[in-house]
Amino acid sequence: MKFRAVLTDYGVNLLERRFLPALEKIGKTCHILLTQHHVILLHNVLNTSGVQAIAQFTKEAIFEDYRLSSQYDDRIAFTVDLGLLSRALKSSVSMDGDLLQIKLVKKRAKITDRPTPYLTIESKGFRSAVVQDVPISQPMPRVEVEELQAALDMAQDLPRTLVQVPNLMQLHALVERLKNVGEVLEVGVTQYGDLHLQVSTTLVSIGSEFRNLRVLGVRVDGNSIDATLNSSERLRDALDKSLASVVKVDVKQFVKSLQCHHTKPDASFCGIAPNDGCLLIMLQYFIPGTRQTDNSISLHYRLPVLLDGAN
Amino acid sequence: MNWDGDAEPGDVGRLRCLLDNVQGLVDALTSVRWKKQQDALCEISEHGMVFTVEEWSCLQARVYFRKELFRTYDYQAQVRPRFGVSLNLLVDCLNTFTSSTGSTALELRYPGFDMQLMLKLVDANNICHSAEIRTLIPDTIPRDFSADGNFDGQSPTCFAVKSSSLKEAIDDLEWPGSSIQIKMCPDPPQVVFKGEGHGDLQIVFPYSVHADLFIAFQCEREVSYRYKYKHLRATTANIPSSILKDNRGSKLTIGEGGLLKVQHLISVRQNPMDHNHNYQTQGVRVSYIEFYVMPDEDEPDSPPSS
Repeated sequence: MKFRAVLTDYGVNLLERRFLPALEKIGKTCHILLTQHHVILLHNVLNTSGVQAIAQFTKEAIFEDYRLSSQYDDRIAFTVDLGLLSRALKSSVSMDGDLLQIKLVKKRAKITDRPTPYLTIESKGFRSAVVQDVPISQPMPRVEVEELQAALDMAQDLPRTLVQVPNLMQLHALVERLKNVGEVLEVGVTQYGDLHLQVSTTLVSIGSEFRNLRVLGVRVDGNSIDATLNSSERLRDALDKSLASVVKVDVKQFVKSLQCHHTKPDASFCGIAPNDGCLLIMLQYFIPGTRQTDNSISLHYRLPVLLDGAN
Repeated sequence: MNWDGDAEPGDVGRLRCLLDNVQGLVDALTSVRWKKQQDALCEISEHGMVFTVEEWSCLQARVYFRKELFRTYDYQAQVRPRFGVSLNLLVDCLNTFTSSTGSTALELRYPGFDMQLMLKLVDANNICHSAEIRTLIPDTIPRDFSADGNFDGQSPTCFAVKSSSLKEAIDDLEWPGSSIQIKMCPDPPQVVFKGEGHGDLQIVFPYSVHADLFIAFQCEREVSYRYKYKHLRATTANIPSSILKDNRGSKLTIGEGGLLKVQHLISVRQNPMDHNHNYQTQGVRVSYIEFYVMPDEDEPDSPPSS
């Protein structure tokens, strides 16, 4: 099992400034799955509760001179502490090393100790070299790597309709405030391109309706909607016509997930998985300087749905 | 949310108003939020809205939001409906409306079809935010405090200082805690805050026409009363820092029987996004917050000397 690569400046920036801070908001650790072509950060994908997040990069998006070999179909997976990895990358940036090499090593403090696995980041300058060892878990056995791969494959199922969130930071600010009103957030997505957010308690019912958003997937023309209807009636009408889905999620989990704005996405979408399985937030990135989707980077969050009566 | 059957402009007995600066109302209501669970009583009249918060009849706060602070204010009936509402819930709901962008105003209506307070805002991005807040039937009528009347034929004893100075002094009195004596003397002209509890602490505000500590000072005879620290603290503890920065001033009046009235002025700026909206005068953009604090009866101080 070998892994060795050189981190590009863009790759360090991508991880240290954007993706790791966002993932740190939802958890302290994540799995890293390295394959021949991709580097994938997976948070909480082996659990059924809690927010799941999957960030996938092509190896070229982060590394150059990428070498990997493993007896598990050339796949290596382990768990890493996001804070430690982030700190190691941050200090490597400040050292301005000419070459930033990353590799998987096993070291032992004493000859009698069992060797411990590390992700070693080596910053090689003209005059000095600084080595930082980030402790990681033992590489996962084949069966767990298969589980990760299965979770990854399952996560490819997209909702039939995704609506584009106009301003992620504004949405974050709104839901952050709704968090003070109630614990359960009702999220509705219609094929007309409407996104409904609603918190209801015995004392208050408060919500927001985002209308005529850009839709990915199945879309229905909203011109036929009765103009006299109010927002809840519009949602009810869409539900009656099977043109909408509504799920309840934990508002705190939604707030944490919306901190994905740290990754500076160029477009963000929200949708409800088939059979109301989860709420999906999907982020899209453009090739710098263009408006073309950068397929080398992807990130999405899956929020578990609360059953009726929960909370 | 159902807005059908709500007030139409001009409906007698129904309120419909548009408020540009939601943050101003949030700041004002936050200033009187001294407990986690608190109910406020809202009274609607043709002059505006008054929110009253009371605790055990010894501490009362009122927020005056006059009709001039609204872009439009439509309420014409002679009756003054009152309803109770959870203050924390109202502030939290209003806060969600401050996250929206643009120059559109918040629409408030009362009553809804089930006596709710209805809020609605459609922002510049055509995003519709709305809320229905269940109101409560008030079970008590708040006491009608007044500290401004003359007593013994003399002018009321009062002083006005910058809000930040008053807050700083009251915050410093926390460690002696317990009850705080407020003494005003005409000669030498000064205000003394004295705390005796775990230790003694005395803070003196000396009056001088040349110093800018006082905005006003009016005292014809020495008065001295004690107040519970937690009540005094409630008068300044929750004032948002943005209001303190404005430093419009706080006026303290000691009325008959030692009733202390603390009045804060709050600037309610027009929406920074809305430069075109025409307000009548500069002066109307001020909201008043009043606190009434009864003296501490457990430890009666010497009666005011005549």
